[in-house]
Amino acid sequence: MATAPILIGLRPEDNLALDRSGHLGRRRAFDRLVGWLLPLLFLVAILPIAWLLYYVGSQALPGFTLATLTTDPSGATGGLFAPLVGSLTILLLGTGVAIAFGFLGGLVTAEYLGEQWAGWIRITANVMVGTPAIIIGLFGYLVFVIYFHWGLSLAAASVTLGVFMTPYVFRATDIAYGSVPPHIREAALGSGARPRQYLFRVASAIAFPQVLGGIFLAMAIGVGETAPLYLTTTTVVLPPTGLFAPASALSLYIWTGFQTGLILPTAIRLAFQAAFLLLVIVIGLNVLVRVIAARARRRLEGLFQ
Amino acid sequence: MNAIASVPTEAVVSVQDLTVTAGARTLLDHVSLDFGARSLTAVVGPSGCGKTTFVRSLNRMTELTAGLAVEGSVRYLGQDIYDAAVDPVVVRRRMGMVFQRPTVFPMSIFENAAFGLRLVHAEEDLVDAAVTEALQRAGLWDEVRAELDRPALSLSGGQQQRLCIARALAVRPRVLLLDEPTSALDPAATQRVEATLQGLKEEIVLVLVTHNVGQAARISDRIAFLHSGKLIEVGPTADILERPRVKLTEQFITGRYA
Repeated sequence: MATAPILIGLRPEDNLALDRSGHLGRRRAFDRLVGWLLPLLFLVAILPIAWLLYYVGSQALPGFTLATLTTDPSGATGGLFAPLVGSLTILLLGTGVAIAFGFLGGLVTAEYLGEQWAGWIRITANVMVGTPAIIIGLFGYLVFVIYFHWGLSLAAASVTLGVFMTPYVFRATDIAYGSVPPHIREAALGSGARPRQYLFRVASAIAFPQVLGGIFLAMAIGVGETAPLYLTTTTVVLPPTGLFAPASALSLYIWTGFQTGLILPTAIRLAFQAAFLLLVIVIGLNVLVRVIAARARRRLEGLFQ
Repeated sequence: MNAIASVPTEAVVSVQDLTVTAGARTLLDHVSLDFGARSLTAVVGPSGCGKTTFVRSLNRMTELTAGLAVEGSVRYLGQDIYDAAVDPVVVRRRMGMVFQRPTVFPMSIFENAAFGLRLVHAEEDLVDAAVTEALQRAGLWDEVRAELDRPALSLSGGQQQRLCIARALAVRPRVLLLDEPTSALDPAATQRVEATLQGLKEEIVLVLVTHNVGQAARISDRIAFLHSGKLIEVGPTADILERPRVKLTEQFITGRYA
């Protein structure tokens, strides 16, 4: 079926190629600029980290053998077994403390507290995140080392690090449970779930990956912290023998290593090796957080629409 | 099974003088309506007329919204569901609910359908049988029988909604409350859900909230028209559509409602 031609009187703007009001040339130039700028900015961001890794690696790796991991330090030489075990033990015990207070606190704040109480607790957590770590260390020293008579010990260091990590776990938990979509809550309760059944069977299935990510992130931040440990334990050359014996830590070892290194250069190598180990642990934990987040995103895709 | 073996009432659900207020606002104003066995009642009305509040007050979902006060009575087989001795959780297990948007949980298809049964710790063989039956009644079985372990979130919107219906059916409720169950679905999925509901009304009481008069015309036996929280008119679907007695009803069903 042929259509009859229609006659239209042409207006100037009907000539599309002549209309410059969209500033096509300017937009294309800007696109090109951004196309160059972004990789440049990426380089600026990545270079310091790459250089740091390279430098620490180049100082640490010569002479880094299995023995570095398995033998105790001896004076300014030897391996890093004691501080590695100390760091990991303090980290695990501290994580336990942070989960006990941070997870429970976050759960109660998100699910049970009224807005006003919840608001005050969130402000407190934010203040704790912003508190300089040395002040947390001072708190640990005064309360656990002095008041509780725990001395400079594994227990004092772990609990102090736990206090430092708690607000990170708290925030992750609070946000994770708070972001469960309200229509999912209604559907669960509407299906005859008791509030607690909703919390454990439905909300936790949604919130768990984010909570886990928060815990690993808190570990990544906590494992390298020096200030909370500086006043609560002390550097020793053997792994901790008990909760109330002092425990060495990699971060402390870097500090003392460099101080000793002013007199004994071999101590500097050991300090760099401790730094390298810490970097590997921190990067590993961060990768773990990424993997958990990506898996959760795939599993929960479509839920938050 | 024993104490109330014979039911002294014709209605499965009987609503008397139901008034719901939120502070100074009246959301429902002295609504009285009975629901007999094997019926599909469409509750229609313009946005904000109180139809969602009405259906939510039938299984005490109103209690999940702070600040709502409910007066009057809702009787389930003669028993006041708002009685202090009655557990709202139990009420919601007898009167299931399906919402506007599909609300599947991040679990497998099977576990979604089994959700209500798991809550009461049903035995494993019983769960298997009930899940199969519920998925069949919801018209989803043929599409998912081979992949019950797949995540429910991977289903299409229409399939998810029928899974929500199956989830509600698995605990064998006598009443199914549906709050605009097809408003987020495309026409093909809507048609599947409507077919499912038509099959279900032979077995249980269905209360369907909808803003869509066409849907009410297609599948309901009875239409209740709500306006400003008041029940304006209720009657068999054909009567309401062809011979409405109230002017307001006629304006609404003919689309001339301003």
